[in-house]
Amino acid sequence: MSGDTTIDAFLSQLPGTLLDGLIRGLAYVGIALGLTIVFGMLRLVNFAHGAFYLIGAYVGLVVSDRLGLVAGLVVAPIAVAIFAIVIDYALLRRFYDRNPTSQILITFGIALVVQEALRLIFTGTTRSYIVPGWLQTSLNLGFTQYPTYRIVFAIGIVILVCVVWFFIERTNYGLIVRAGIRDRIMVQLLGGNVRQASTVIFALGGAIAGLVGAGASPIYSVDPNTGFNFLVPSFVVIVIGGLGSFWGAVVGGLLVGELQSLTTLISAPASDIVIYVAMALVLLVRPSGLFGESEIIRG
Amino acid sequence: MKDWAFYLLTAVGLALFPLAIHPIGGYSGLATEILLLGIGAMGFNLLLGYAGLLSYGQAMFYGVGSYVALLTVSRFFPQVHSIWLALLLAVIFVGLMALVIGIVTVRLYGIYFALLTLAFAQMFYFIVFQWRSLTRGDDGLQGITSPPLTLGPWSLDLTTRLPSLNLGPFGNLNEVTYWYPFAAIVILLILAFVRTLISSQYGEVLAAIRENEERSVFIGFDSKRYRIAAFTLAGALTGLSGALYGLHQTSTAVDTLDVDTSGSFVIFTVVGGVKTLFGPLLGTGIIEYLQNVISGKTDAWRLIEGLIFVAVIAFMPRGLLGSVPRVSEFAYQPRFRRTEPLTEPRRVSEGIILETKGLSRYFGAFAANSKIDFSVRAGELRAVIGPNGAGKTTFFNVLAGLRAASEGQIFFKGQEITRMPGAQRVASGVAKAFQTASIYPDESVFENVRLAALARVQGMFAPEFLRRSGRLGRVDDIAHDALEQLDLRDVAALRAGSLSHGDKKRLDIAVALATQPELLLLDEPVAGMSIEEVQKTDRLIRALAKKMTVLIIEHDMDLIMGISDSITVLHQGKVLAEGTPAEIRANRLVQEAYLGGYAEEARGASAPGASAETTP
Repeated sequence: MSGDTTIDAFLSQLPGTLLDGLIRGLAYVGIALGLTIVFGMLRLVNFAHGAFYLIGAYVGLVVSDRLGLVAGLVVAPIAVAIFAIVIDYALLRRFYDRNPTSQILITFGIALVVQEALRLIFTGTTRSYIVPGWLQTSLNLGFTQYPTYRIVFAIGIVILVCVVWFFIERTNYGLIVRAGIRDRIMVQLLGGNVRQASTVIFALGGAIAGLVGAGASPIYSVDPNTGFNFLVPSFVVIVIGGLGSFWGAVVGGLLVGELQSLTTLISAPASDIVIYVAMALVLLVRPSGLFGESEIIRG
Repeated sequence: MKDWAFYLLTAVGLALFPLAIHPIGGYSGLATEILLLGIGAMGFNLLLGYAGLLSYGQAMFYGVGSYVALLTVSRFFPQVHSIWLALLLAVIFVGLMALVIGIVTVRLYGIYFALLTLAFAQMFYFIVFQWRSLTRGDDGLQGITSPPLTLGPWSLDLTTRLPSLNLGPFGNLNEVTYWYPFAAIVILLILAFVRTLISSQYGEVLAAIRENEERSVFIGFDSKRYRIAAFTLAGALTGLSGALYGLHQTSTAVDTLDVDTSGSFVIFTVVGGVKTLFGPLLGTGIIEYLQNVISGKTDAWRLIEGLIFVAVIAFMPRGLLGSVPRVSEFAYQPRFRRTEPLTEPRRVSEGIILETKGLSRYFGAFAANSKIDFSVRAGELRAVIGPNGAGKTTFFNVLAGLRAASEGQIFFKGQEITRMPGAQRVASGVAKAFQTASIYPDESVFENVRLAALARVQGMFAPEFLRRSGRLGRVDDIAHDALEQLDLRDVAALRAGSLSHGDKKRLDIAVALATQPELLLLDEPVAGMSIEEVQKTDRLIRALAKKMTVLIIEHDMDLIMGISDSITVLHQGKVLAEGTPAEIRANRLVQEAYLGGYAEEARGASAPGASAETTP
């Protein structure tokens, strides 16, 4: 094979690969968003975030099998939000002020329990969603054909990012939440309910993960390990973007998605590892991430 | 407990263990497997329990250890076929690997550290998985003949069964292979090592760094090197665990490097009890035993494991053994004695001891310190005052090395120290007492001061892994002397966290003093003290100032005007005025600065006696 044809093959795969990377990146953005908000606002390192994604994916699966995909997309985030509130009240409250190590341990434990409970219920096999017919087609984007569902998913994530941004930056409730991060006691003195705000944020983070779980599973399908498989890249995303940073999660997510996708063009197995290399480099050169504050949070 | 009694009891326990596990349904090899995995858990406990580092990457050490050992036997040195060589190479290789990864990772904390170790583990998983010619990828290494245990001319096949001896309900002795006694001896040695290590000088300093890293650095310990050493030891032990387990199984596979393996060590250690000697072994035993008994009967084993883990963290965060109440640790009664004459702290310098040239510190665009030129003669007691936000504390932090200077230079005893790390500055004679007392709340008062004296005598890093933290005469003397000078003798045996506010602040000064500084930085030493305490502390500082150079930040103008030789006034990050107390009191610029910023303090500055309430 001559060099030219290799390059031609490479170029012909490039648009599709870039699009795949974009979609994967957007999925990461959706998951990382909840992770970074919960960290930014509650200073809670949530290893159970992948479990939220997983619950959303399975609830969405069950509901959409019976009532259709739209119903699944509505019920999944609600179910996860309820689960998050229960977990918050039952367990996590007492860990808010503990060191990150304890937080990682307890949320890791919760993730383990959720994952294994779901494995018992749904077995370890990979499940895929039934998607309505019109979403199974593909659209001609001029330069390539691309599955309609993926395009709709991408638009959905963009809308989600806008809604979350609006909630945090432009509503009164978001103001209380933002102020609560800076100074809990002051907000309480002013009459704000920080405790309630913490729960709302935790539930919101969960709901977003649940929604993304239900939305992304028609693309990536679901098995009990999916939660962890998405959690770790999402942590990589927010570490690269800067822990607690909204735009860090967005930019980091897209970067990681594209990086993984483009690496498959060179070496498919390496795509699993490239994000770790990227994270290690970022941590060593700029530990606070691309958008992070300059001080490292100590534990 | 006496040493011999401890080892005797442990040996008896280990001898009975495989028998005890029989009637409750454990298979014959389980006891061996528990001990071998337990070594890795004990290593991890050094990290999580004693160094406070949560690594999610122990699998890389465990897995690589098993591969190196099995490859040594089957590929590298098949003709030698020695178990010792296999273990030695595994431990050395994994130890070096841990050293390098430790140097890179211990700069980070909490979630960053956990994720970075996880990232490294994933990279090693990838390497082992892809390097098929060596590791056979997915298939792993199978059916490796385990070498016999050799000792000189003597050789023993570890897979041989023990002699037949019927023990009734405890089964037959011949169900156990010689692997078990071998594993038991290894674990006994490792228990002895870890037990010595945690009560060694190294272990003591490591625990101190965990409790208060900032203080540990500013009594002169190089905290990073202490943590790197812990990471390396933990890695080597985990590698040994993997090597032994692999040799015992005669096989290994790439999933030994899996995230689940890292998670297992976390679970073993946390369930059994972090920061306890036997906790990790106990946790390994319980989890492995339950898995063995339960996973055959139901699919729910992993769920049950998760539930146990969550329950332990939520309801007994110190783990099973850690929750057992312990005898008070403050049995030490201080005896004030001199073993040898106290060495004079240091050669007293003359002339200018500290000088800064154009020193600036920015936070973003904000200049907390701006082009400060400052010099202090040896033996002087210099006060640094200024309205709130003038940059006083930042100035001290830059001098001590707590924050880096953005511009300019610092000279101490004529040598430039601008880029010198904090611990090294302490070693060369700069000590700092903090605005909010920085002490070890869970240690005794004496132990607080003793740690500082230890740093003075031992230097920044002393890997004394095996030397018992005995009462080194000289260290004790320095500590006693520091306590005496701050009038803290009577409370020496108390828990530092239980002291009154004033005593805590004086303890903080005593800790700084025990590093035998030439230059002592005191950041608001009397803030928040009662009038009696202020008077007492005033006296004590005057006495200290006779022996060393003292720089003091204080809002209490009575104190400042009374004790200072000279005063530097900072305002908006710049030096506004400098002079004797009388000159400063008469200085119009100073009066205006205080009036401009804060009317109350202005009265305090110009009218001594009305200032105590301006301190928070």
